[in-house]
Amino acid sequence: MPTVIVAHFKTNIYEYLEALQKSTLDKLYEEPATCLAIFRLLPSLARQLVMSLLFSTQIMSKADLRQWIKNDKESLSKFEEALDKLQKLHIMIEQENKTIALNSSFKQKFQECLTGGGTHQSFGKLYNKPHRHSQSNSHKLPDIKTLDEHAKTKWEEILHFMVGTDRMNSPGASVLKVVTKANLMREKEGKGLEITNKGFQFLLQDVNTQVWAFLIQYLDLASEMLHMNVVEVLNFFFMLGSLELGQDYSVEGLTDTQRQLLDDLTNYGLIYRPKKSSKRYYPTRLATTLTSGNSAIVSNSSSNNPTDDDDSATEQGFIIVETNYKLYAYTSSQLQISVLNLFCNLQFQFSNMVTAELTRESVRKALKHGITASQIISYLTSHAHPQMKKRPALLPSTVVDQIQLWEMELNRLVITNSYLYKEFRTFADYEVVLKHANTLGVVVWSSDSKKMIGITEAGHERVKAFIKRKIVQRRSNGGDTTSSAGGTPAR
Amino acid sequence: MKVDEDANLLVLIIDTNPIVWRKSNFSLKEALRHILVFINAHLALKHDNDVAIIASHVGVSKFLYPIPMTHENSDKTIFPNMYQKFRVIDEKVIANMSALFEDVDTPNNYPDKASSMMAGALSMALCYINRITKADEIGHVKSRILIISVSPDSPYQYISIMNCIFSAQKLCIPIDVCKVYGSDTPVFLQQASHITGGKYLKLEMPQGLLQFLMIAFLPDRYNKKYLCLPGEERVDFGAACFCHKKIIDVGYVCSVCLSSILNLICDLFSVYQNVMILFLNHL
Repeated sequence: MPTVIVAHFKTNIYEYLEALQKSTLDKLYEEPATCLAIFRLLPSLARQLVMSLLFSTQIMSKADLRQWIKNDKESLSKFEEALDKLQKLHIMIEQENKTIALNSSFKQKFQECLTGGGTHQSFGKLYNKPHRHSQSNSHKLPDIKTLDEHAKTKWEEILHFMVGTDRMNSPGASVLKVVTKANLMREKEGKGLEITNKGFQFLLQDVNTQVWAFLIQYLDLASEMLHMNVVEVLNFFFMLGSLELGQDYSVEGLTDTQRQLLDDLTNYGLIYRPKKSSKRYYPTRLATTLTSGNSAIVSNSSSNNPTDDDDSATEQGFIIVETNYKLYAYTSSQLQISVLNLFCNLQFQFSNMVTAELTRESVRKALKHGITASQIISYLTSHAHPQMKKRPALLPSTVVDQIQLWEMELNRLVITNSYLYKEFRTFADYEVVLKHANTLGVVVWSSDSKKMIGITEAGHERVKAFIKRKIVQRRSNGGDTTSSAGGTPAR
Repeated sequence: MKVDEDANLLVLIIDTNPIVWRKSNFSLKEALRHILVFINAHLALKHDNDVAIIASHVGVSKFLYPIPMTHENSDKTIFPNMYQKFRVIDEKVIANMSALFEDVDTPNNYPDKASSMMAGALSMALCYINRITKADEIGHVKSRILIISVSPDSPYQYISIMNCIFSAQKLCIPIDVCKVYGSDTPVFLQQASHITGGKYLKLEMPQGLLQFLMIAFLPDRYNKKYLCLPGEERVDFGAACFCHKKIIDVGYVCSVCLSSILNLICDLFSVYQNVMILFLNHL
């Protein structure tokens, strides 16, 4: 049965944070960058409540807050949901005398975040020394293009490794550890790692979700095996989300734990360092879009466009789906073609595009691997070519419905192991056994005309014992030719 | 994209008439501190949120942010204690506002020094919003206008302001008004917020500007559906006559062009046919 993976990365982080202890959360709230990042994860009404209480000094109770909300059902339910989330994250604390207040450390640090006060240097210390190699040509400062290249290569290395395309370099040991721990791949006897169902689903998700899933697994690994301080690691992640692309930052203000992180993060493509021991690091696009929700990888096709500096979502769409189930993908990226190979039948490859077909066999192959129909559909929707956006519905409804029908086909039959009771001599016997089995609740199927009952495996022993008892009873009661018995149990 | 995920564009129009600000006991410098924190709060809500700030000065209105860079190297220093986006915007606003105040010739030459160029600022705001909306193909940028006003209405700007208000109504852009100081009610701005679906609020305590802004004017269009916000319900539907620019309660309306005039025999207008008497201020 395919497991359901949460689609949106915000929910991933949110669940992880909820599971932390209150004291850990309090420590987290001592960095304004973390406060800002966690603040942006909240539902919108919760954000508004925090803002309204941020600069006020009055003591409020829950009833006072409810006065701010309109009196209809939808508003009140949103209010309850917002308050619930705030309390779970320990941002709002309910005190003994029924008053409710913002977590004082969060309040102070968030105020500092908005007013720019404090000396926390939480938003990334700039590397101030002049670049030593800026004059010579051999060590050029990385520009945004280099950073994007680096991020893309590193991240795709991991994905290629998961899909199983033959590549020269396999990713480093720490990556393999995280991938195994996250159950995305598992050890196969002697031959190395093979991909699991969860891994297949992972491949179809968008980059932000993938990166965060990776980082959260890394967090678990870090706290168990490497004894790193979870708070510092999380602070570093959230600080990365607020840095500027293309700017270099100094490693001076980082703690030891965070410096350890730098190596691993370079392997994942989130950070670029000119040398291993360099005193500065550059965040890549994967890092700066961690908390913003924008698209994290610039697509291949837009490499001819003039570079724009903001990291807003660029066109990622390259797939055209037709109503005759034919698929045209305008890409030459090996990774994307491999991902498409998971659920469609590739036919031809041209220099700039690939044609494929969605057939019953190809989709069933994907479904058997554990990918759900909704994941296939959401992958196609998110990577749809801009031309497709001109249609009234993005994907043709025939194709969408058919994929879902193919999924439902797998669920047509439900198999239950059971015992079949047949060859009851009289109808009365059959009825007695049926009634008893019904009271026990173990009947899977019964047929009055054929006088057969199907009993679950769990209930088989009890029904057998009941029938034996009845046989003994009859023998002791009535002794003659009137028939004994019950049915012969057959599997 | 869910409605919750829309980016919000807030266009802030600050009334910077220095004469009126000096009369109030709440200085513009202090108010600017509050306003900058409010802008940071708006940007903090969502990564995609954006802001545009226009100063409505005496005789002129100018964009404080965003303006195209005139000099080659933009200031690249990064301040580790503050989120970069906040800092860039705050610094630019302060720098441009100082530049605005250094230029004393334009205000000196303008006759009516008691009011500010609200109509100009509103038009610039609407044009900016129009440009952003047209450039945004996905259609998820939602805009609104917030006016922080201290000076009274200028009847000379009546027609222009009314035109701006009607365009804003057509484009579904709510105009909120926060009146920090001023004894007389700004009739036009009240009508503006009423027609476009915004809120009008007069502050009793200007020192609490930030808290009022956070509670009443920070929620975006999505959140406004669920919150009860303070605001005045009664609107004074006064109008200004087209000829003398005086604010009138009772006057005449031409049934052809619907312009309101003070009396039938007015030397500035030549021909009027079928003029009706209309009570313009109904209680």
